[in-house]
Amino acid sequence: MVKEYLDKYPRNPARTLWLMKPVAKVLKIFFKTIVHRPVTILYPYEKMWVPENFRGRPGLRFDRCVACGMCVRMCPTACIKLVEVPDDAGAPVKRPQVNLGRCAMCGYCAEYCPVDAMTVTPDFELAEYTRRDLIYGPRRLAYDGITEGMEIRIEETLMSDIARGEPERRVSPFMTDRPELLASKCISCKKCEKVCPVDAVKMVEHGVNEKGRPILYPEFDDVKCISCGNCIADCPKDALTLKEVL
Amino acid sequence: MADERKLECACGAAPMDTDKMWVIMGPQHPFSHGLWTLKAQIDGEIVTDAEPIIGYLHRGWEKECENRTYPKIIPMADRLCYAASMTYTHLYCMTVEKALGIDVPEKAKYIRMVADEICRIQSHLMWLAAVGTDLGNLTVFLWAMREREFFMDLNLRLCGARMTTNFPRIGGVRNDTTELFDRDVLRCVERFEKAIWDVIALVDDSSIFLSRMKGTGYLTREQCVNLGITGPAMRGNGVDFDIRRDDPYDNYDKVDFEVPVLKDGDSYSRYMVRIEEMFQSCKIIKQAMRKVAALGKNAPYRLKVPSRVPAGRAFMRMEDPRGESLMYLVSDGTDKPYRLKVRSPIFVNVSASKPLVQGSRIADVPVIMAMIDMCLGETDR
Repeated sequence: MVKEYLDKYPRNPARTLWLMKPVAKVLKIFFKTIVHRPVTILYPYEKMWVPENFRGRPGLRFDRCVACGMCVRMCPTACIKLVEVPDDAGAPVKRPQVNLGRCAMCGYCAEYCPVDAMTVTPDFELAEYTRRDLIYGPRRLAYDGITEGMEIRIEETLMSDIARGEPERRVSPFMTDRPELLASKCISCKKCEKVCPVDAVKMVEHGVNEKGRPILYPEFDDVKCISCGNCIADCPKDALTLKEVL
Repeated sequence: MADERKLECACGAAPMDTDKMWVIMGPQHPFSHGLWTLKAQIDGEIVTDAEPIIGYLHRGWEKECENRTYPKIIPMADRLCYAASMTYTHLYCMTVEKALGIDVPEKAKYIRMVADEICRIQSHLMWLAAVGTDLGNLTVFLWAMREREFFMDLNLRLCGARMTTNFPRIGGVRNDTTELFDRDVLRCVERFEKAIWDVIALVDDSSIFLSRMKGTGYLTREQCVNLGITGPAMRGNGVDFDIRRDDPYDNYDKVDFEVPVLKDGDSYSRYMVRIEEMFQSCKIIKQAMRKVAALGKNAPYRLKVPSRVPAGRAFMRMEDPRGESLMYLVSDGTDKPYRLKVRSPIFVNVSASKPLVQGSRIADVPVIMAMIDMCLGETDR
């Protein structure tokens, strides 16, 4: 290998022509400059092209969101909050609200959204007059334009797949990881059923206890479950764990 | 006493005796894009003593990491140094991967290398721009920033953000290279290899630059080793050590590149080392992109990793654009680190400011200190 600069430059024979070189250089740059197009744009009237995967402010698809709170948990700056708003039919539902004054545009909310409701948008002009205006409610957060790079999906490869010789398979943790019950700890409080955003938990009776009350254990619908981890976080006795497929 | 001396001076009988004076340079600087103070004791025009004062940008980074789960620290690691965000994120991911004991897919390694080298080039260009303004040449600043813009666009094309990229992930990288990325990289790099000569000519052909840089900020090889200086500042002093070559991480042992080492030990040799490093980075990018293309489209680039790191300790070091950066992770088996220590190259390099500026003229101080490429985000953490 050669050193591009150190080998060439300090012994450059052109340096002996010290008088001609600057003149030639200036002329070259002069002609280059009068020929090529302007490199600047008239910003408010013209806009720069942004690529499809540009990470601007977060956007929300209102109808897809299930209020699982994954974005709230993953946000590194804690700028997302679930607030109650009426949906299209008027019933109160919880949807994320983003404080863009604190948003770091990292795209984690879109990446870790199990239902692709949070997206990144190419919207970057976010100047407002007050800080209060920077708080984007769920309706204002909505962004309907759809481009390919907007919804970020986690496409991971399992280590077991590589060992098996199938390195081309891609999974997302929301497809593979499911909560698992340690039945000896469960007290049949039904909290997991209540907090599940997609109704994937069903309490199933497993006989009665000595007081005559029914013993209920949660059963998880693997198809409906999005592995948001709400049931695990809310379990009062830590009977649930997330079983990670690796 | 003072009156007596004044009288002596006035009559011109005795030699002039001047008081030593402390000049406080900073925290707002002509020569660095962060807040730090350099107290310089001057005797006339000659600097006799210097003392760096840092800590204006302390954010409690290491403590804050203890309250976050492992993936949430990645965007924070970006903000350690805005000019080298990719390398710090990469370093953090490598540390956690080492603690987990997993091996990253080949494709992810090469993409990370490409990202790192893009980051190195744009960081060095940022430094070149800063040197230009320190020495009063705004053209160098503008041209270097113009070249840097192409690499920022590459970052944008790769991961959707220009500066705080949030790109490497524990177990791989965030996304595969986008469709035309390899074409864009090659175009950009080939263009850069020609265009940077304009900026080099501005500096190397200018006697103002050369007289400021040659023979100033001199350190011997022994001093450099004893002070713990790393990075281009060390290689400009004749120490032949580069972690990419001598303790290779990722796939740096599978690409061919040269480590520039110069023995002069002054500011100019540090400048030359950095310029040569940019060319070598271009070479690494080209080779790594070829390897990425050879691996095919469907090669895995991101592994699924457990959210909990087994209890233990791990550390990893890497060649940052500024020197050797290291992260030391102590894990207690939960999904949050127990302790995450960052060794920042600049924190150590800035402690060498006294031997660097001692004996030089006060007007040379900005360019001498610019040659260690201060970045305060990582220094103060």
